Amino acid sequence: MVRRILGLTTGRIAVAILTVIALLAVLGPLFAPQDPLATSDHPLAGTSGSHWLGTDYLGRDVLSRLLDGSRVSVLGSLEVAVTALVVGAVPGILSVYLGRAFEWVTLRLVDTLVALPFLLFAVAVIALLGNGLTQAMLVTGVLVSPLFYRVSRAATLSVARSQYVEAAIISGASIGWIVRRHVWAKVLPPIAVAFAQTVGVGFVIVSSLTFLGIGVQPPEPTWGGLLASDLGYLGQKPWAPVAPALLIMATVWAGNLLADAIRDVSGEAGRALIDARRARPDRLDKTDPAPAGGTR
Amino acid sequence: MTRPPHTPPAAGAEENPPPVLEVTGLDVHYGPRRRRRQALHGVSLSVAPAETVGIIGETGSGKSTLARAVLGLVPASAGSILIDGENVTAHRDRQWRALRRRGVVQYVFQDPLRSLDPDLTIEDSLVEPLLVRGVARQEAVGRARTLLDRVRLSDGLLTRLPGELSGGQRQRVAVARALITEPRLVVLDEPVSALDSANRVQILEILKELGASGVALVFISHDLGSVAGVADRVAVLYRGELVESGTARDVVGSPRHAYTRLLVGSAPTLRGARTDRARRAELRELLDA
Amino acid sequence: MTRPSADLLPGRTAPAGPSASASPVLSVRDVRITDRASGREIVHGVSFDLPPGRTVGIVGESGSGKTLTCRATLGILPPHFEVSDGTIEIDGTDISTLTPARWTELRGATISAVFQDPASYLNPSVRVGAQIAEVLRVKRGLKRREARERAVELLRAVHLRDPELVYAQYTYELSGGMLQRVLIAAAIAAGPRILIADEATTALDVTVQAEILDLLADLRERTGLALVVVSHDLAVVAQLCDEVLVMRGGEVLEQGPTRTVLGAPRHDYTKLLIAEHEQYGLEKFLDLKETP
Repeated sequence: MVRRILGLTTGRIAVAILTVIALLAVLGPLFAPQDPLATSDHPLAGTSGSHWLGTDYLGRDVLSRLLDGSRVSVLGSLEVAVTALVVGAVPGILSVYLGRAFEWVTLRLVDTLVALPFLLFAVAVIALLGNGLTQAMLVTGVLVSPLFYRVSRAATLSVARSQYVEAAIISGASIGWIVRRHVWAKVLPPIAVAFAQTVGVGFVIVSSLTFLGIGVQPPEPTWGGLLASDLGYLGQKPWAPVAPALLIMATVWAGNLLADAIRDVSGEAGRALIDARRARPDRLDKTDPAPAGGTR
Repeated sequence: MTRPPHTPPAAGAEENPPPVLEVTGLDVHYGPRRRRRQALHGVSLSVAPAETVGIIGETGSGKSTLARAVLGLVPASAGSILIDGENVTAHRDRQWRALRRRGVVQYVFQDPLRSLDPDLTIEDSLVEPLLVRGVARQEAVGRARTLLDRVRLSDGLLTRLPGELSGGQRQRVAVARALITEPRLVVLDEPVSALDSANRVQILEILKELGASGVALVFISHDLGSVAGVADRVAVLYRGELVESGTARDVVGSPRHAYTRLLVGSAPTLRGARTDRARRAELRELLDA
Repeated sequence: MTRPSADLLPGRTAPAGPSASASPVLSVRDVRITDRASGREIVHGVSFDLPPGRTVGIVGESGSGKTLTCRATLGILPPHFEVSDGTIEIDGTDISTLTPARWTELRGATISAVFQDPASYLNPSVRVGAQIAEVLRVKRGLKRREARERAVELLRAVHLRDPELVYAQYTYELSGGMLQRVLIAAAIAAGPRILIADEATTALDVTVQAEILDLLADLRERTGLALVVVSHDLAVVAQLCDEVLVMRGGEVLEQGPTRTVLGAPRHDYTKLLIAEHEQYGLEKFLDLKETP
């Protein structure tokens, strides 16, 4: 699987970018040239030798804040995505196999989660569990999990009715065997796509919660927080949001590229296309608009 | 409705070995309680060891339901099913799994593209029924090789994916997969209708060999010609009922039920229109009434 | 079942017994088809003449070039395929001289086709009757009400039991056999002189297949429609056709009157097809019955 992804150009680009981002997250805070929290007398300064990316409205070094914030930002959005994955995908797959009652209960729970107003729920849970990045991200993850539940359930359903699963059942295979052997490979690509999306959304959520004082507390920097604060000073420093925005964009884009690559190498759609070409050279372009009665 | 096909096969006339499959008065219903529809009405059928029974039915006749009921994929609402002497009518999931793992009954689907997992190699698909039973992989692969040989495929295919095989090859893989547990009974649901004529003949030849080697076959198809060429006995399923049964020669040569007559008259032959159009139109109207 | 009289049907009413000497409505002369992408010739010379009220059959497995030949006569070859040699004449007009506008005029009105998998040629979100009426309004310039009446007549002409009901139904409500009839009704709506049936009965049950084949034979007799029947099944072609072409790998292996080809096949491939049918067809049982 990994080898097949790396065989694609898009796959290689995605993996390269994500590796850089991961390194940033791990090593970024160590490389920060200045104290990210230290203010100075030069607010909103331009690029200079001492401040490569200039300073923000309190005169703090932007580069240092970006590097320092990378760990929290990346970990935060990953936390959201992983929580959503575990809370959503596992019951999503099992809902197809564990009988009517389980299916009914999980479906109603998911409906409830979708219906809950996000911020109210977040504030309520923070009040219960205490304020902190982890709590905030767990809450967000749970709230995003219906996406994973739905995606994995739909993918599993389409496989569960397939003949090869029935063939396995007729051979006496257990549910565990069927999920491991047949379902997993089919459910993985759509889940990967959802995962990449969620990571992207995670950045934005981390920052919007920061704005409300939930999760990461100012003045601690995050990418999303930087973007939000820079936006307020567009008049004085129009290019200020470019750096954090580019970082977020690159990460989200790489995530989506990777998801696409996973889908391309493991998807049934691509393979079916090849099959069709091989099996029926005689019937090219079945979708060609042929005149049934000369309607056009 | 003529009498149900309970006549034992000619081969075991002296001693009547116990049947591998015995279906008695089977009713199957479909759908939610309020809009239940009956798919099978009192179907009775018995298959002796090493016998090939053909079941002829068209879309909506209930033929797939019959196959699925025999394999425990849909529940029976009345009647009984005995597989190798074991009454499976009231079996729960666990008992079914135990029965299936013994590999007594196997199933071959119509569409060989969809009955093999597109993400698994041919080897993985072939050995699955054995791995499920806990047979060691090496031993299972050994058996897979001999079976590929039996269905006239080279073992070079083992590492391929189903998408890389032709329709005929895939169907032969599906047959090999069904045989890997050395079943006593194989149910085949339209095994040749997705294939072109050369591949169809090849599969039919393989089925004939199988029948001769002592495996009992239930061969379900809408194609009278394919079934009649392979089966010892033929039964006609129409709107959920078995309307006629007998040797292939009797059913095709002197059909009694109006539907069977239409079926025989409709099958295209090289002799041109066998039954003329007016006669077919008459039979259709008779059946609609 | 009420049989509509011939004049209910659009198109010309031809004399009951069309003679072979009538000038052909479709004439295919040594047609070769090349895949421009690879530069390979896929079909190596197909020729036949089709007079009104007659039927030509093309038999071959997938990849034999039978479908490409049909598509060439309809002017709908897939991208980068072209007729590299030979001529096709529809009703005396060489199709290579046709402008797109003339093609549009010709399709449906003179030459028409039905294919396998009828559902994919109908719009699932429009009532099937309305789709036939659309053909009538575009091709024959009928008013809305007239088109509707004619569409119902056509549905009756293809032996659908309750044409009024079928008119108002959607594709998912109809069986494969019914859909194929609807498609045939649409195909003959503008009164074509030639109908190409490419594997039109392949996916259907045996009894339904016979119904469709009977319907085609009926139309041919009543309206003088000329048919090209393409199938992988020799017997389907034998049922309906006056002349047969046996194709394999883009080559016509054998061609002649159906009786001759089936009775005294010369090519080994034809012999093989016949032998396969003798073994896994009903012939042996029926012959036994005839010679007790």
